[in-house]
Amino acid sequence: MNDARTGVEIAGTQIEDTFAEAFRMRVARLVVTAHDDFWLDAAVREFAGYSSSIISCDSEAGLERPLAPRETPDGRKGVALLVFGFSADALAEVVPNRVGQCLMTCPTTAVYDGLSEGEQRIPLGKTIRYFGDGFQKSKLIAGRRYWRVPVMDGEFVVEHTAHVAKGVGGGNFIVQGTSAVAALAAARRAIEAINPLPSVITPFPGGVARSGSKVGSRYKKLKASTADEYCPTLRGRVQTKLAEGANAAYEIVIDGLDEAAVAHAMTEGIRAAAGKDVLAITAGNYGGKLGKFHFHLHEILS
Amino acid sequence: MPLVLRYRGQTSIPVEVEGFLPEVVRGHTLAQIERIEIFHGNQKCALGDFFSVSGSADDACFEFEGDLSGVHWIGAKLAAGEIRIEGSAGRHVGSEMTGGTIHVAGDVSDWVGGEMHGGLIHVRGRAGHFVGAAYRGSKRGMTGGTILVHGPVGDETGHTMRRGLIAVGGAGDFTGLNMIAGTVPVFGPVGTRTGANMRRGTLGLFGEAPVRLLPTFRPGNCDKLLVLQLVFAELRRLGYPFDESLCERAYRMHHGDLVTGGRGEVLVPA
Repeated sequence: MNDARTGVEIAGTQIEDTFAEAFRMRVARLVVTAHDDFWLDAAVREFAGYSSSIISCDSEAGLERPLAPRETPDGRKGVALLVFGFSADALAEVVPNRVGQCLMTCPTTAVYDGLSEGEQRIPLGKTIRYFGDGFQKSKLIAGRRYWRVPVMDGEFVVEHTAHVAKGVGGGNFIVQGTSAVAALAAARRAIEAINPLPSVITPFPGGVARSGSKVGSRYKKLKASTADEYCPTLRGRVQTKLAEGANAAYEIVIDGLDEAAVAHAMTEGIRAAAGKDVLAITAGNYGGKLGKFHFHLHEILS
Repeated sequence: MPLVLRYRGQTSIPVEVEGFLPEVVRGHTLAQIERIEIFHGNQKCALGDFFSVSGSADDACFEFEGDLSGVHWIGAKLAAGEIRIEGSAGRHVGSEMTGGTIHVAGDVSDWVGGEMHGGLIHVRGRAGHFVGAAYRGSKRGMTGGTILVHGPVGDETGHTMRRGLIAVGGAGDFTGLNMIAGTVPVFGPVGTRTGANMRRGTLGLFGEAPVRLLPTFRPGNCDKLLVLQLVFAELRRLGYPFDESLCERAYRMHHGDLVTGGRGEVLVPA
C-alpha cells in the first residue's frame, strides 16, 4: 500500500499525491485521407500497429482524431495521426517506412503533412516517390510539393516532406479496481473521454496498457520488465503500490503535442475513470530523475 | 492607406512605368513620387505628368485608377506589397515579379506575368497573348507563382513555363507550348495545338466544347484524379470562380507530347 495517498478524492476514488513523469520527444503529424471510413480505419490500424511503446517499437503512433472533409487538403474524409520518436532523425527513418508500407499499400489513401510549422522536416514522398520507378510526377501547389506515385488504383498522393515538432511523451495514470472488470471499465471510461481530445494519442491497445513496466530487469539484456509493484498476483512477494483491496490495475499512457494537451487529457481521463469499485488512481514515475515533465495529479485536477 | 495613382494621360503613345514599385517609393513624399521618371514613348518624363498622386506610400500598396490600357509594365519585378488596378492595364503586368500580389479589375494586354517567379496576379477580366510565357529567346517562362484570369486569354499561354499555376477562363492556340512543368487549367474553349512540345506538367481542358488534341498525345485512363482536388481547393481558396461540378467529374488523361518524351498530361472531362 502506498502511504503517499492523501486526501484528494473523486467519486469515492482516492487520487494519490504523486506525479506522472513524461519525456521530451519529437512528433510528426500526418493527415491521411481515403475513400471512406472503412479504408481510413484500415489505414489507421495498419499504420499504428506495433507502435505501443518506444521501449521496443520504433515509435509511438496513433489516431489523434477524425477529420471532416473541410479539414483535409483534398476534401475527403480523413484522420490525423501522431507519430512520436526520440529524435527527428529517428522519425526520418520511421515515418517514410510506415507511410510506404502501411499507407501507400492501403487502397485510396493520400498522405499530407499535418503540421504547419516545426523545427525540422523529414522526408515523406521525397523518398517514397522512387517506388514510382520514374513514372512519378510532382505537383507544387501553394508552396507545397506533392508526389503522385502511380499505383494499381490510380495514384498515391503524398506530400514531399513533413514537419517535426517538439512533443511530450509518457504522460500517464494508473487506475486500480477491486476487480479486473471494474478496472477495465474505468480504463475504458477514461479512454472514451480522452479519444475526442485534440493533440494527444494513447498509443497502447485500445488506449490501455496492462503490462506496465519498470526500468531494467534482473536479466541483463532487458531494458524494461514488468512493474511488479502493480501486479496483484505479486502482492505479498514484493513491496506493492496497489491500494488495499485492489486486484487489478491498468495504465493509460498519453503522448501529446505539448504539455498542456497532455495535462488536459490526463485530467479528463482521471475524472472519467474515477467511480464505483475504483479504489485509487496513481501515476508512474522514475523518481523525477529521467523525465523533463512532471504532471502532479493533485495540481492538474485542481 | 494605399498610394492612389489616378491616370489622366490622353496619349496614344505607350506610357511605361517599369521600376515604379511599392518597395521603391516606400517612405517617399508625394512630391518625390511625382518626380519619379517614367517613359512616354522613348522620352523620359515625370510620373506626375500622367498621374495624380494621393494617399501614402508607407503601406506598400498601390491603387491605380483610370483607363490604364496604354500603361505598360505595371508591377514588373514586384517583390512584395500589393498593387490594385481598378480598370484595365497594358502589357507586361507583373512581368518577372517574384512576390506580392497584383489585382486587376478589368482586362490586361499581352505578357501578363511573363517569366514570373512568384506571387499572385489576379485578373477579373480578360488577358492577351503570352500569359506567363517566356520572352523570345529565353530558356524558361514562368517559374513560380500564380496567375488567375477569369476571362479568356490569347495564344501561347504558359509558353515554356517551368513551374506555377495559370488558371484561365478560355485560351487561344498553343496553350502550354513547350511547357516544362506546371499546371494550367482552362475553364473554357481552347484553340488548336494545345500542349505542343510539352515535356511535363498538366493542362486541364475543362470547357464544354470538344477538344481535338495533336496526334502526338495518347489517351490514357479515365477516372477521378485526386491531385485535381488539390488544384481546385487552391483555386477556391484564392477566390477563382469555376463550376464546382468539375470536382465530381472523371477525366480522360492524355499523355504527351510524345515528341518530347510524353511525360506531360492533358486532362479532359470524360
